[in-house]
Amino acid sequence: MIFKLDDTFDKLFIVSPEIYAGFIKLFKDENPLHTDENFAKTKGFKGRVMHGNILHGFISYFIGECLPVKNVIIHSQKIEFKNAVYINDELHFKAVITGIYESVNTVEFKYYFENATSSIVAKGQIQIGLLN
Amino acid sequence: MKIEDILKQVNDIFIDTLDNDQVIITEATTANDVEEWDSLTHIQLVVAIEKHFKIRFTSKEIQSWNNVGEMLTCIQEKGV
Repeated sequence: MIFKLDDTFDKLFIVSPEIYAGFIKLFKDENPLHTDENFAKTKGFKGRVMHGNILHGFISYFIGECLPVKNVIIHSQKIEFKNAVYINDELHFKAVITGIYESVNTVEFKYYFENATSSIVAKGQIQIGLLN
Repeated sequence: MKIEDILKQVNDIFIDTLDNDQVIITEATTANDVEEWDSLTHIQLVVAIEKHFKIRFTSKEIQSWNNVGEMLTCIQEKGV
């Protein structure tokens, strides 16, 4: 097993205008919370709130491209949103291995995304399988 | 722990993992008897059982099981 308990991984992600626009173009979620600055402000936010599921895309990139092996598949991923994310936010992603199940080639991570003011914006768990 | 007690706890794990509160397993049960028990849920079941009983199986052990009863015996033999 290439992974060990407590192995940690770090990655910086930016919610760029291109990612935001691409998400809307692909998934058509134009809810005013995400697209109308004034609407979002009347709801108590600083501006347009980025789609939380953009973070799932970052997780997909992390699992698919940032691990030391490519023979991986995501079994499950869970996410809790804690704070709003805004356009151009820099998000520090940190994941730690919390479980290794060699009998079924499975690894579990806990992760969080932290913004530039050190507030956790989302956290959760990911379970992956290592393909033979 | 007695096999019957392990079976009860494993049954609860099946209910939770398979999202089916109608599942009743016996020592004779196999994957063919439970509709939701496919290759992916099999992994989830093994992980949940390892976590619950704080044990680890080997892939060889898992491949040797022909039914739930053999899995229960394996759990018991790990000192549960």
